[in-house]
Order: sequence, then structure tokens, then C-alpha cells
Amino acid sequence: MVQFLVKRFIGLIFVIVAVTFITFVLGLNAPGDPIKTMLGQHFNLATYLSLRHTYGLDLPWYQQYGNYLANLFRFQFGYSYQFQNEPVWDLLKNGVPVSTELAFWALILEVLIGVPIGIISALKSNSWIDTTNMGVMLILFALPSFILAVFAQLIIVWFDTSTGNTWPVQGWSNTPWTYSLSDIQVKLVPILVVAAVGTAFFARLARTSMLEVLRQDFVRTARAKGLRERAVIYRHAFRNAMIPLVTVFGITLGTTVVGLFFIENIFNIPGIAQQTISSIEARDYPVIQATTVLIAVGVVLGNLLSDILYSVADPRIKAA
Amino acid sequence: MDTKDQESRVSSQAQESMLPDSTMAPLSVEEMIEANGPAEAIELETGLPAVAPGAKQQKSPTPLQDSLRRLRKDKRAMASLVVIILFVLIPIIGPLIYTHIGPLYNSPLNGLIGPAKYHSPFWQELTSQDQLFSSQYWLGTDSLGRDLLARLMAGMLVSIFVALLVEIVDIVLGVTVGVLAGYYGGWIDQVLARFTDIMFAFPGLLFAILLTGIFGESADTAFQHIPLVGANGNARLILVSIALAFAAWPLMARFVRGQTLQLKEQQFIEAARTSGTNDFKIILRHIIPNLFSIVVVAATLDISATVIGEAGLSYLGLGVQSPGSSIGVMIADASGSLAVHPWEVLLPSIVLAIIVLAFSFLGDGLRDAFDPRSKD
Repeated sequence: MVQFLVKRFIGLIFVIVAVTFITFVLGLNAPGDPIKTMLGQHFNLATYLSLRHTYGLDLPWYQQYGNYLANLFRFQFGYSYQFQNEPVWDLLKNGVPVSTELAFWALILEVLIGVPIGIISALKSNSWIDTTNMGVMLILFALPSFILAVFAQLIIVWFDTSTGNTWPVQGWSNTPWTYSLSDIQVKLVPILVVAAVGTAFFARLARTSMLEVLRQDFVRTARAKGLRERAVIYRHAFRNAMIPLVTVFGITLGTTVVGLFFIENIFNIPGIAQQTISSIEARDYPVIQATTVLIAVGVVLGNLLSDILYSVADPRIKAA
Repeated sequence: MDTKDQESRVSSQAQESMLPDSTMAPLSVEEMIEANGPAEAIELETGLPAVAPGAKQQKSPTPLQDSLRRLRKDKRAMASLVVIILFVLIPIIGPLIYTHIGPLYNSPLNGLIGPAKYHSPFWQELTSQDQLFSSQYWLGTDSLGRDLLARLMAGMLVSIFVALLVEIVDIVLGVTVGVLAGYYGGWIDQVLARFTDIMFAFPGLLFAILLTGIFGESADTAFQHIPLVGANGNARLILVSIALAFAAWPLMARFVRGQTLQLKEQQFIEAARTSGTNDFKIILRHIIPNLFSIVVVAATLDISATVIGEAGLSYLGLGVQSPGSSIGVMIADASGSLAVHPWEVLLPSIVLAIIVLAFSFLGDGLRDAFDPRSKD
């Protein structure tokens, strides 16, 4: 177990260094000169050189990378080009909880909706329930989230105009984790849309995994010794079927977070993904770099977590 | 027999997750489903003739013929294939015909114009904005009076172009690196494993968003003189394709590597080696042909992801630039007036959905056809 963790930890550090290095190199080669942009009309060579020195841009690249890495650990992602001298983190820090909230509920719903659908499909495999379920899940899985979002908005608009209701299409507030009735109205649809792909993913995986387990000898033994079907399924099969699902936590985290780039944009949610998109339009590269690093590192950590959970859930891993 | 199969699968899964590359670097969504589910069997199976031992008779059809026969029976996959053929033909042939069909139109702004003009994806007929279907505009017009069908066909052409470019890079790089890594192991394998670790840290479109977000405008100027692609705001597509291909090929390489590892242990490879065939010939004659099924399935599913990727990036303003057309651009352009003119959003969305589903269904169908046991 210890050996396993050490090995994984070394891998983790390697990936984090590489990911930060890639974003650093891309940022270093980004078109335009940040200091020139910052000075704008007030350009003069003396200030230019002194500012370059202040920001460490006159250092060789490996020293710059060292500073960049050291700053990352202190949540200093450099300064925004767009809003002069504003640290990138100050721009992002209001968005982080908003995006976290959205991703959090989406992940919860993915498991709570997807897993039962998959289990029911497996228990009724090849019946019309299974076929319908898996058909719907395949469609949800294949469709990009921005299409689902557009359809969802159309449905809301249609619902509003035909019933005279005023279900809001957007209006996600800046204060996260608040749940008044109007908040829930605003938040429900975007969360469902973000969760759609992951739900389909979990449903398909849960079905496969459950079918696999139901074929195993220990399930036959449990039935043979006269256990009630419910006990066989929930106490024996279900628990074992859930083990592989733990491993995909990191992947669903990744797809869910990337879905935010579209959903926050479409539903006008003030999260970091929307901030990133508006930064791209303003050519504010440090913000793009910062969000990429944040997400990539988050995904890597999520994977590590799911690996550890897997080795806890399935003791055979430790022995191997 | 059954139990043994299960056991070996469980233990192989367990070992698999001990390997740094498989745990650290999560597979993409599609692959994970395959790895944990039905398609895991592909990797174990395709090295062998795909026919069940009992069915093996003299003059029996080859495995490929057998697979194609199974594919033909799969109605959903065949319907998808038809959709895909239309998806390729319509944007190539369509504009040639469409620009010749239509009445002469006396435009209040532009005088007398023919279909060659108002059926161009870029022609703005500002007096006929947001129209619905008519004999002049078969699928209506957008908020700038541009013909929606013409723009749609131009957008589909963009999807095809990007998909083609990405798949070429994906297959060439993925197969080359995957075979070398699987066959020789050693440092190539190590480098591939580390590289995939890194690329998998960027989920989905994140790497493409980063790359196009930073270098998008440089790409516009750098590629603008390339014929065909450079014009009409499409120059950035090259960058989009590079970004998508860069993120896609490690997955292909891993599929191929896994398959090569299996093949390497097969007796026919051993026989070839004993009879003095050199490595190069073994790879070219015996390994690569046997990768066919896995590469086709992976590429088909990947096209779906690529089409989504291009549309998504264009939707975010990172792909095709104005006045160019792309399905993503069409959705983005029209999403502002969603409540008033829903058709303008619905049309490109439905087309994109159909294309994406067709490739997913065909990919699923191909997987089942190449490996019937993968179907539960």
C-alpha cells in the first residue's frame, strides 16, 4: 500500500510539473508583449525595462519557470493584462466557489441518477426498460453539452410562453450555496445539463459492471443457499459492482469541469470558466493559463483520490 | 471455463490499475467504458480469428467478411452509415447545385441578383433577415439575411475537413507510436506512457481551449495565405485540428499498444519470427493488418468527438471566425435570439446531433461487428 502510494505520488508530481511546464511555455510564447500592453500609451524604454525586471521577465526561461512554479504554490498566477495590475487570483477567486458548486451538484446527481438507472437496466437486461434506458443514455452521452443546453433553454422558453410561467433562463447569483426557491429554479437546469453526460456515463458503466458481477459464482452461491433475491442483489452484487465505478471518478470530474466552459457561458453563470472565456476574448493569457493549471491539477488530484479509494475498496489491488 | 475467464479478467484489471499509465492517466470517457465494459474483450480477442471455434469450417468466410456481414444486419449502424455518407456528400456536392437553383431576386439593396449570390454562405441580404422556409431560402435565413442551408453546408464542410485532418494525424501517429511501444517496449513505451499521463491531465477540450485561446489570432495571420483553408475566417481551423489531434492521438496509441502486446505473444508471430522474418516485415505484414478493427472503431468514435470539439471551439469563438461558417458558429450567432427565432438555433443543433449520433452508433455497431462477444 505504501509502495503503491509512493509510486502514485511520484507520478503525480511528474504530471503536475509537466502540465505547469506546458502552460508556462505556451504563455511564454504567447503573442504580444505583456509589459507593452500594460504600459499602453505611456510607453517609454526606461519604465519598460524596469517593469520587465520587476516582473522577472528578463530572466532566462528556466528561472522564470522556477518563479512561476513557486508562485503557483502560493496561488499567485501573475497579473491580469486586461485589468492592469490586478492579480489573476483576485479575478478568479469569486468564480471558484460558483464553479465548484455547479460541478459538485452535477457530480452528485450523476451518481444518484446514473447508478440506479444502470442497475435497473442490468437487472432487467434486454427488456424494453433496458433498451429504452440505454438508448436515452447513449444519446445523452453522445450529445455535446452545449446542444443539450440550447435544447434546455428552448424548452424553458417554450414552457414560459405556453403556460405564462416565468421560469428563469438565467440569473445565477454571485453568492454560492444559497437555496431560496428562485435560486433553485435558476440552478436546477444548468446543473442537470452539466450532469447529463456523466449520468449517461455512470449508467452505462453501472450496467456493465452489474451484469459482470451477476454472472459471478458467488452470486450463484448466494442464490443457491436460498438468500432472498433482494439480499443477493443489494448485499452481494451491488457492493461489488460499485468498485469499478470508483476508478472513474477522476474522469467524470474532468468531463464535468470541461462542460462548465459551455454551460457557464450559455446560462451566464459567473464562474471561472466564463471568466476564462471572456479573458480569451480580451487576450488575457495569464488568466487562461491559471484556469488551465487549476483544472488540470484538480483532475490529477481527483484521479489520485479515486485510485486510493479503489485500493481501499478492493483489497486485491494492494496484494498485486 | 466461464470462471477462469472471469478470474483472468479480474486479475488483469487489477494489474492494469497497478500500472502507472492506466491509473494515473485516466482513459477518455469512451475508452473507460470500453476498458471496463464490453470492449475489453476486443483487446483480448481480435488477435485471434474472430470466429467462434465451432463455426470454423473449411472455406468459411474470413473474419473481416464475417464482421461485415454482422454489420450489415445491424440496422442502426447501417442507417448511421447512410447518414454519414450524406453528411460527406451534401456539403461537397450541395453548394454546386444549390447556387444554381432559385429565382432571380430583385433585391431592394442590391438590385437584381441570382442564386449564385444569395445562396452563397457569406452573402448578406439585409432585407430578408430571419426568414423561414421559402422557395428562395429553403431553410430560411439568419439575422444577417444569410442563407441558412448554404451556411450549414459550409459548416459541415468545415467539420469534415477538421475530422479528416485530425484522423489522419491521429491514426498515423497513434499507430506508429503504439506499435513501436508495444512491439519494442523500452524507452518508446516509457515516453508514450509519460506523454499520455500528461495529456490525460487535460480533460476533453481543455488543451484545445488553452492552445487556441493563446495562439488563435497568430494562427489567423500565419495560415491566412494557405489556399482554400486560409480564406473566410477558416485559417484557425489548422490550429484547431492540431490541438484536437494532439489531444487525441495518445489514446489511439494506447489502444494500438495494448493490441500489439497481445498480438506479439500470438503463435503466428512466433512462427514468422522463427522462420527468419525481420521485425519490420512482422510489423508491416502481421501486426498492422490485425490492428484494423481496433483502429477503425477508435477512429469512428473519435470523429464524433472531433466534430463536437470543432463545433464547441467555434461556439466559444475559438474556431472559425466571422464571416466563416461552422455549425458551432451558427449556434453561437443565433443563440442570442433564441426566444424569437428558435429555428436558427435548432437547425444547426439538430444537424450536429444527428452527425454525432451517427458516428457514435456506427462506432458501437463496428465494435459489436468486429467482436460479437462484446455485446451483453
